[in-house]
Amino acid sequence: MLKIVVCVKAVPDQSIADKLKIDPVTKSLPRLDIPLVINSLDSHALEAALQLKEKYGAHITILCMGPPPAGNIVRECLALGADKGILLTDPAFAGADAFATAYTLAKAVEKIGPVDVIFCGMASSDGATEWVGPEMAAFLSIPVVTMVREIVKDQGDEWIVNADYEHGYRRVKLKLPAVITVTRDLNQPKSLSFSGILNARSKEIVEWNREKLDIPAERVGLKGSPTYVTEMAHLESRREVEILEGSLEEKVERLVQILSDAGVV
Amino acid sequence: MIDFTFTEEQELFRKAARKFAETKIAPHVPVMEKTNRGWDEVVRALAEAEMFAITIPKEHGGLGMGYVARLIALEEIARVSVATAMMYQVFGLGIEAFIKSGTEEQKKKYLPRLATGERLATVAVTEPSGGSDPKGCRTKYKKVNGTYVLNGRKCFITNSHTADVQVILAVDEDNPDSLTTLIVEKGMEGFKPTHEEHKVGMRGCNTGEIEMKNVVVPSENVIGGEGKGLKVAMAAISDVGRGGMVGCALGLQQACLEASVKFSNERILYGKPISNLQAIQFKIAEMKIDLEAGRLLGYRAAAMQDKGERSGNEFAVAKYYTTEAVQKAAKMAVDIHGGYGCMEEFPVTRYLRDSFVLGPSAGTSDIMKVIISRWALS
Amino acid sequence: MEEKSATVFVVAEQGEDGIQPVSLQLVGKARQLADKLGSKVGAVLLGQNLTKVAQKLVEVGVDFVFQGDSELLVPYQAELYSEIIVKLMVEHCPDILLIGSTFMGRELAPLVAARLKTGLTAHCIDLVINNEGILEQKIPAYGGMITIVCPKKRPQMATVANGVFPNPVLDSARSGEIIPIDVPKEFPLRVQTLEIVKEKSEGISLESASVIVAGGAGAGDHDGWHQIAELADVLNAGFGSTRPAVDAGWTELETMIGQSGKMVNPEVYIGVGLSGELQHMVGIVGAKIMIAINNDAKAPVFEQVDYGVVEDCRVFVPALVKTLKNNEAYAGKATNVI
Repeated sequence: MLKIVVCVKAVPDQSIADKLKIDPVTKSLPRLDIPLVINSLDSHALEAALQLKEKYGAHITILCMGPPPAGNIVRECLALGADKGILLTDPAFAGADAFATAYTLAKAVEKIGPVDVIFCGMASSDGATEWVGPEMAAFLSIPVVTMVREIVKDQGDEWIVNADYEHGYRRVKLKLPAVITVTRDLNQPKSLSFSGILNARSKEIVEWNREKLDIPAERVGLKGSPTYVTEMAHLESRREVEILEGSLEEKVERLVQILSDAGVV
Repeated sequence: MIDFTFTEEQELFRKAARKFAETKIAPHVPVMEKTNRGWDEVVRALAEAEMFAITIPKEHGGLGMGYVARLIALEEIARVSVATAMMYQVFGLGIEAFIKSGTEEQKKKYLPRLATGERLATVAVTEPSGGSDPKGCRTKYKKVNGTYVLNGRKCFITNSHTADVQVILAVDEDNPDSLTTLIVEKGMEGFKPTHEEHKVGMRGCNTGEIEMKNVVVPSENVIGGEGKGLKVAMAAISDVGRGGMVGCALGLQQACLEASVKFSNERILYGKPISNLQAIQFKIAEMKIDLEAGRLLGYRAAAMQDKGERSGNEFAVAKYYTTEAVQKAAKMAVDIHGGYGCMEEFPVTRYLRDSFVLGPSAGTSDIMKVIISRWALS
Repeated sequence: MEEKSATVFVVAEQGEDGIQPVSLQLVGKARQLADKLGSKVGAVLLGQNLTKVAQKLVEVGVDFVFQGDSELLVPYQAELYSEIIVKLMVEHCPDILLIGSTFMGRELAPLVAARLKTGLTAHCIDLVINNEGILEQKIPAYGGMITIVCPKKRPQMATVANGVFPNPVLDSARSGEIIPIDVPKEFPLRVQTLEIVKEKSEGISLESASVIVAGGAGAGDHDGWHQIAELADVLNAGFGSTRPAVDAGWTELETMIGQSGKMVNPEVYIGVGLSGELQHMVGIVGAKIMIAINNDAKAPVFEQVDYGVVEDCRVFVPALVKTLKNNEAYAGKATNVI
């Protein structure tokens, strides 16, 4: 039976988070309680695992590093069909950049034991670096393919996948165990079902902190991050906007005039 | 006593229900509005999403999730389509008759397939002679050789044409004090849905008349016992029926509030969004107050129901409050939209039309007051 | 530090016409940074038949081109490339390593950074050496700009997208060394690129379009999206998008303009039904005229454009298209008459 780990990040709901702005006076972010949701690309990662489970049978472990409310996201993944959840949570993990995050996740995978494949969304909607998947693979000394859009051969320990590339894609042969980061094109995630939510009641979520993972304090969180933010600056707008006035027809006329003057029409 | 927060699991139910409503129900609303039909698709979607299994116990093929879960699902569906929520709530009413009053055999026979949506149920009480006066019903049965021969007409029945299992209230021809609820199924000779109603709101919600002409109903189709018909009907209506209206009203109120907030943030008058004007703010505040209060009333009653307590009175209060409040909210939403509130492309016009169909359903506001005063005076 | 060492390195990527434009742009920037630090620019170039490419790198300012020229290096192989680059970095201990955020770069950079145990910043839109000699990496976020540093670990690594920095000028008078490097012959590959498949792409390339229309969530649905597509068509413009439009399935990821998508530099930009989130807006570099159409007067886009139209795009765009088409027809008739 395939042993699969799916790395999931709890991110702020984008429809609200998008409105978050650096305060020009305090030069910091306002404190807002934005609800957390599953990072949307991670839903595709989980779906990939669920489809393999349906085809061949698999045990799917959800791995999530985040504050305690991220546990809801782990539970949601169990409701979608994963088997077990591990929440890596510890105040010491706060402020982690991609390097420290990948390192912590990799240590957790080591603790989980032998794994066949690790699925991650190719990027998160808030950090969006794309680094965590490949860096995890490097720390675990296993291969990785990023931006996978199709899994062509998924049996045995040598898979074939198609990954996004310049003007098209590349066909890649991949030896397991490996990390695969996925794109939106890979699949269509299923929706939550009521029976799935009820089934999740009997599934286990454990919490592991830094001590449980046996990592020294200087390797996690802000302390373990080679990079950090030094400054937040509000961007001054360099354009003076003219809001067109009048009726719809008048605005259309004016805009056509502007475009004509610019040589567009 | 009190923890006013939803559990993590309930929040997940709501999330799943909302996504379902937005992706599987919303696309059908325009067709339902335009044609006053098109309910087959949404009914199928409800079945696929396990909506019919929510209140049915696990041992009869359901999910056994309870009535708070039902209210959450109804709220989310009504927020997108009151017509769908109404049909769904009345299917649930039909199911409840079996849960509360069915024999073990009847439960085994009907509930599993009601849970999957393979069969659909409803309760038929109202007649041209009145719904507020169920004892005055003229649909009658005559006992003949152990069967019940049924004759009569019911009107304003939700799911009249879609439900294939109907729990019908009728009076004994020979004994006007004896009312019995009988399970009548599609295919029984002499039973047919007839006229379809054209309601000004809740368009696409199947409402119509059914006609019984010498329908021979076997004795095993008596539900709840002979002579106990009123009790059976009221047992289902007083909590599930009223509770269903609460869900419809709360969801619609939420929709009115969201539409009002969106419009008032976008509409510019005097150089600023109208959400800056106190007149608009106050209307929105009133909507919000009513919604908060209505939610508390509804979920309190549903929580009592989940505990197995009698909740008919509490639901009467919630039903009265929320259905009255939603009519006010819809009117305020239309007012906030100004002239646009009269234009069909804006959903608030539909909200207004939907809102007043909620009033007389499952008992008028005046009947609610009768019940509540009885409770207070006792 | 060794004689052949340089402080600022670039991973140069072989492209269709010899070299990826972003690699040249990064060398231009590296030259600037190295000059400030008083040091040299190195490049790692892996591929095959690299002579002309290596020369070009020298002409834009590279002092040392470390060249791996072998058929084993075509196509891109993650493990072989990262092995070679890591070895080179360990040997030369540069201060800074820049990689273009191409498909290859986005996979290779983190593999190298993790093995070197150093920091890596994505989506940089500016790089500046501060008074302490540290590289300040600027990225857009939360409606503003944040500065990231990697003060302790080396090299300081960053990826930058095509179009962020200007194309440098080629100077044939420049000189530099081209140093061949060893390519391990029997390197076991657990992940192997078997082939690269090109897919047909339609429409005007966004990177070269002089007029761009970009659509966002305000399109509402497929019909609304087609309305905006028509506008792009009538204007003969490139048609780009924002993330919500891609998420809604109205368009492909390739059309997305922004921090995690394409950087574009049109003369005229028209944003339709999009709110103006910085992640998207930062993808538009140096447009002369920016226009936005959105029904929300409070949308941030209206602070970032020259002309704003507060209207529902689903109503305004068809009206605009109609007028443009009429004008076209009229103009057409006029020339026929002459």
